[in-house]
Amino acid sequence: MRNSVPMFKHWQRSLLGLLLTVVLLITGCQQAQAPDRFAQAQQDSSKPGVTAVAKDATQGSQFNKYFPKPGAGYERVYTQEKKGFSEAALKKDGKEVAKLSISDTSSLPAAAAKYENSTQTIAGYPAITMGKTQTSVLVGKYQVKVLARDPNFSQAEREQWISKFDLKGLSKLKT
Amino acid sequence: MSKTIYELVDELPTDGMTVKALNALDFVVPGQWQNLTGFTNTISAVTGETDDAMIQAIGERAVYLYNDSSQGYQRAMWLYNTVDSAAGALGAAALANKIGQDISFLGFLGNLTPKPEKAQSLDLAVKLVVELVAFCQINGIPGDSIGDFLAALGDYGGESLMRMAALVCYDGLIPLGGGFIEKGMASITQTSPDELQKNQTFKGVSDLIPGGNPAGQLGFITQSFDSVKGWMGDFVSSRNLTQQSVLSHLSQVIQVSADKLDYVGAFLDVSVKYYTHTGTQTLARRLIERAVAEL
Repeated sequence: MRNSVPMFKHWQRSLLGLLLTVVLLITGCQQAQAPDRFAQAQQDSSKPGVTAVAKDATQGSQFNKYFPKPGAGYERVYTQEKKGFSEAALKKDGKEVAKLSISDTSSLPAAAAKYENSTQTIAGYPAITMGKTQTSVLVGKYQVKVLARDPNFSQAEREQWISKFDLKGLSKLKT
Repeated sequence: MSKTIYELVDELPTDGMTVKALNALDFVVPGQWQNLTGFTNTISAVTGETDDAMIQAIGERAVYLYNDSSQGYQRAMWLYNTVDSAAGALGAAALANKIGQDISFLGFLGNLTPKPEKAQSLDLAVKLVVELVAFCQINGIPGDSIGDFLAALGDYGGESLMRMAALVCYDGLIPLGGGFIEKGMASITQTSPDELQKNQTFKGVSDLIPGGNPAGQLGFITQSFDSVKGWMGDFVSSRNLTQQSVLSHLSQVIQVSADKLDYVGAFLDVSVKYYTHTGTQTLARRLIERAVAEL
């Protein structure tokens, strides 16, 4: 170290130190970012008493009768039926083109809150388009969503399939 | 602490014995299985969404859903893991220092003991029931609903169908031959509840097998196998599958010898963890599908 002293003036050494710190900070952050992006959610959801599904959420089995009927070349296959959630695959010629779902937003209030800014309606219910694949409406506390699984399944088709749900019936579901 | 769902999906191997053995079955279910690994990668592939903030939101909701133990996802993961490790427990100790390596069949032969036909048949039946129970846990159907499972089986695709293909080929055809369905059925009906309790694979997962007690559980296993045997028979005949055809495809990717057939089943038991691998992929898919729909 003693030999290096004459090579660098004091301010140069300070600058070098600062640069090293910055480099270490940057590489340190980059390494941490990728694997840790879900760490906060992991930590928050692992706390005692934290649940993902509200205690009084409606059973998924109660949603099934409000789904659109199959027909006209479309097949409907129920895929999930959990507390607060029910989902079916919409198939055409054996290929999945969309997912149809109903969920109880009491488990995830933010899902319902996003409709406050909605300017669009489908069949009279506040509607939202999200991401590249999702169109949904809020019916009371229930969210009805159609998600494209085939890139050719257009937004117009998603809206059309939303209106094929028995939204009126769902609006009267009491639990 | 057990691993997080994103770690489990991120750590799925992209190569190795399990991936090789599954790829060898592409001829059985052509194009159905791509080895999808990585949590964010899976989110994009399943949902078609590419926006980073959207992927983050979907991933976070999926983490919450997985961690809510009342939702059954962790039980399904436990089932997939346990049935794999219990079936291969006998050779696992010898294998422990070779994790992550490709193991040579001949080099490992000395550590293998072929399973008696009855134990092999019970393994097949227990694994089938594990699929049924895990399916019900993931999809929210009562745990003993054989009818719902049968209806869904006809609609299986992707990694779920690949798992069933591996069950039929690697736990049916290879160890038991073309008559594996009849042999399986005969073995189960000749098994006593006492014997069942001694079966390593059953012991691992018995806590989550419906039936209440060993006799009831045996009844449930028998009933399940009996209900699914038609599906398995169709699966084999419609694809012209034989022990020979499966073995010849397998030997293209993993060095196994047909004259040591007794050992191939035992070798697959310890080196190929296809329930854990494809089960994690199924679970991730279902969690992500639900997460994006609920957002």
